[in-house]
Amino acid sequence: MTNHQERIDLEAPLSGDFQAVVRLIIGGIAERVDFAFEEIDDLQLAVERLLAEAGTVGSVQFEFEVGENGISTSVGPLSERKVAEALADGEFVPGQLTLRRILETVVDSFGVEEADDDRIVVRLVKRKGIA
Amino acid sequence: MSSTNHQGVNSDLRRAASPERAREEDRQLLRRYHEGGDTGAREELIQRHLPLVRSLARRYAGRGEALEDIEQVGAIGLIKAIDRFELEREVSLATYATPNVVGEIKRHFRDKGWAIRVPRALQELNASMSGAIERLTGKLGRSPSIAEIAEELKTTPEEVLEAMEVGSAYSTVSLSTGPSGEEELDPLETIGDEDAEFERSEDRAALEPALERLAPREREILRMRFEEGLPQTQIAQRVGLSQMHVSRLIRKSLAIMREELLR
Repeated sequence: MTNHQERIDLEAPLSGDFQAVVRLIIGGIAERVDFAFEEIDDLQLAVERLLAEAGTVGSVQFEFEVGENGISTSVGPLSERKVAEALADGEFVPGQLTLRRILETVVDSFGVEEADDDRIVVRLVKRKGIA
Repeated sequence: MSSTNHQGVNSDLRRAASPERAREEDRQLLRRYHEGGDTGAREELIQRHLPLVRSLARRYAGRGEALEDIEQVGAIGLIKAIDRFELEREVSLATYATPNVVGEIKRHFRDKGWAIRVPRALQELNASMSGAIERLTGKLGRSPSIAEIAEELKTTPEEVLEAMEVGSAYSTVSLSTGPSGEEELDPLETIGDEDAEFERSEDRAALEPALERLAPREREILRMRFEEGLPQTQIAQRVGLSQMHVSRLIRKSLAIMREELLR
């Protein structure tokens, strides 16, 4: 995304109690690269909706690659079946709101990478100044 | 002595006659608006009843929300009451508008989900953030950064982030249910039809059940965000709420939908 990148790793319980902490950390990281209020809100929402599909048992790792132009956030490993279903490709139907549609709206790009034990990691890219 | 009494009687008479005259003037303005489409009459009605909104809003001051924000929300209730008023009603506009204004304010507090206890200083910072974001968005022509918000509010970016988190707390209980879990809507608050602008969105497509659980306003906000792809700032302008409020409604609505899908 940019030549100079900082990396921040975090592991947090999936339990809902810690989601506010994750949001706060995302806000803190995004603030460092001068994201606008609305861009921070978008990235927080993307992660929050992704975690909502991931259940509440166990923990999840976050890897933030912070560059001058934006943040690449990896979230996982997540249960492949549930998240893959939620992210399934398909034609957009007005009146329906899928996770895929939400991510397409709030981040600039996202992708799915395979992890161990048939699980996946979702990578979200949010750039600065596009919101 | 008699002079004083005389003045007192006149004053009392004026007070007694004034509400009746005001009510009649309201009726004439309502007739001009509803029958003749006179939007100037509507504006005059709004101005005439803003003191009522301010008075009602003051009852909800000191709960972590700026008074001007509460007044703004209350004014939306007033406008809805004016728009929905039926001329054949034997009730004054002030009487009809009061539950609408109170209902709108109550809904606003429910939407904010202040159930979670947070330090007062953070609540106050959160309360002032909404106005700061609106001011800066207007001034800069874009969504402000956290550093810019912090500078505007003479605080640190970390405190702004914390206050954002305070404001983002929400409950996923039904939008028509209060913190007690019981229906809180005053029967009078439900008088009139749902806002026509929001109702129209229902005709756009058959809605999935999860979306149907949302109030028309929330459905319309989701449609604007995820179908039209509008940024929060534009949605906020369209629906007359602050950007922070729109953000909270989006998050809460998505959480409610997710809950519905799991049922």
